[in-house]
Amino acid sequence: MEGASMRGVLSHLSLLEVQARSRGSQVPQQPSRVKELKAKVEALTSQRDQLKAELQIHKKLQKLRAPVDKRREDGEDEEMDVDSGSSELFHLMARHSELTDLLHAHNLIGGYDAIITNGGKGMCFSLATEYEGVYLDTYKLELNLKPKVKISRHNIPPFIALNSLAEQSNLQTDVRAFLATVSQHLNAFAGRRQQLKLVKEQHKSVEVMESNLLCSILVLMFTVPKDKTPLLCTLEYTDHTRYLPTRVHLNCQDKLLPDSPNWKKNCSLLKEVPVHRALTAIKKASDIV
Amino acid sequence: MDNLAKHLLQRLMRRIPASMLKSTLDKWGRLTAEKRKSLDFTQSKWTITQELVALYVTENPNQGMWHTFQLLDPEDDAHSVELMQFKEQFKSHLSELKRNVSVKIKKHTDEAVWIRVAWGDGLSRPNHLKATYVVHYLQTPYVFVNALSSKNKPLLLQALTLSTKHQQIKAANLSGQKLTALRDLLMRQYQQVFPTKYPSPLPEKLRIEKVQAEASASRHRMAGETFGDGMLPALQSAFFQLETKFKDPTNEAMTQRDEPFICSVKFSSSNLLESLRHCASSGIASTPVTPLLSSIPLKGRNYFVITDNVPTA
Repeated sequence: MEGASMRGVLSHLSLLEVQARSRGSQVPQQPSRVKELKAKVEALTSQRDQLKAELQIHKKLQKLRAPVDKRREDGEDEEMDVDSGSSELFHLMARHSELTDLLHAHNLIGGYDAIITNGGKGMCFSLATEYEGVYLDTYKLELNLKPKVKISRHNIPPFIALNSLAEQSNLQTDVRAFLATVSQHLNAFAGRRQQLKLVKEQHKSVEVMESNLLCSILVLMFTVPKDKTPLLCTLEYTDHTRYLPTRVHLNCQDKLLPDSPNWKKNCSLLKEVPVHRALTAIKKASDIV
Repeated sequence: MDNLAKHLLQRLMRRIPASMLKSTLDKWGRLTAEKRKSLDFTQSKWTITQELVALYVTENPNQGMWHTFQLLDPEDDAHSVELMQFKEQFKSHLSELKRNVSVKIKKHTDEAVWIRVAWGDGLSRPNHLKATYVVHYLQTPYVFVNALSSKNKPLLLQALTLSTKHQQIKAANLSGQKLTALRDLLMRQYQQVFPTKYPSPLPEKLRIEKVQAEASASRHRMAGETFGDGMLPALQSAFFQLETKFKDPTNEAMTQRDEPFICSVKFSSSNLLESLRHCASSGIASTPVTPLLSSIPLKGRNYFVITDNVPTA
């Protein structure tokens, strides 16, 4: 009995000794961990400094953009403690960002970039198109104003019936209405074309059977999951000022399928929502492959 | 494809035994696999020959002579004419106007509708080797036509007008060998230049150099605005016919002539628009560019008749 417990204690003591020794060897590891943490601190400090500097510049620009009278009142100019060279730069940067915002606002409220040309006898308008927040092509339209308002040059494609639009709105008295109509047609066209592009990119299981340059007709081939039945869907965009179809028509060998409640719902969805989004929803409902 | 080449092809095809036709064409390696698949080798050699010629023409549209026509006065539903409808209508209208014609219509991936019309008369079957080719983009007013005889012209134009739901069609005065150039010019598929508010600044120079540089920059700008930037559609010719009557009242013999004097001027170039742009920017042609030349890209035409009364017809 005594021998066993002595052995137990001794072996325990030797175990403790080994542990103490191994703990000792861990101490040299600390410095490298410390180095790592120090490096991280440095990186974070420099990042903080950079962000602080950017914040300063932004604040200064904001101050510069404040109206001139207010600046003079508050005497904030004296708080500028930068040298003359870079303050000029700051002024320019501030003015630039002010003008860009102004131009953006001008476009948002329906204004057009216009330039006077031909020695005051003409004007060239920029008509921008956008869809879902992305700027697409910009078209140019030049008008001669004297002696009569007449369309001079443009880069609008021929499937947009510019001349008939000019006849419909009275070009002589209301140029703005004419430009608004043209912009409407162009934006709707750009939107429809973009939808077609997205359908081709996002829905490879849907085959585009027919389209045209104006993107006023779209015929798609769906595959119904059950039996892999093909289903032909025709979208007619007869109103060229809209980017949604006016008529949706289904064709299937199974005559009952188009009249099913699901597909009646899908048809109205296709009339209310842009086609690439509608297809995502229809796929989710497992109505098509 | 010129007549000699067609003739050669016919003779070659006749020589090759029917059983070896498919393998021979495969070995020739001139057709893509897709095109080879589209050929139906159960048809007669004559039919296959015609199809080969048709394939060649559609692959090489910049040969032969293409003439442009413009559709006018669209009806209300002209803008919703779609392919199936157009195909049916065209075929039915043309066969009503002339019997014994064979029509093949196909839409290419760039939305161009290619129509091939083979004309037969009372005695012979329609000959696709001498077919008329028509290229049209739906919902645009332009039609490009190749190899159309004057006998069949009114029939074809009538069928086109009716099937596209227009009321009139007229010659657009734009012709050339390169279909792609004509198409790009009319569809505005090239880099047009419009006036901008901020002209690019000139580097600081001596006064004389500065004046010269300004004049040169101004010429370049006007040349660019008239003709466009970068690569321009490769139009190859322009034709001006000037008609004027003799005007000296002291020379009765000449003034009594009924017919006007005619002077024809033809410009030819591998790329006429780029040549004219260079003329304007280098000062050879005065700027602002005369309407006689600027009408070519602006109105999309290269045939002009200029008479005493009207500056540009």
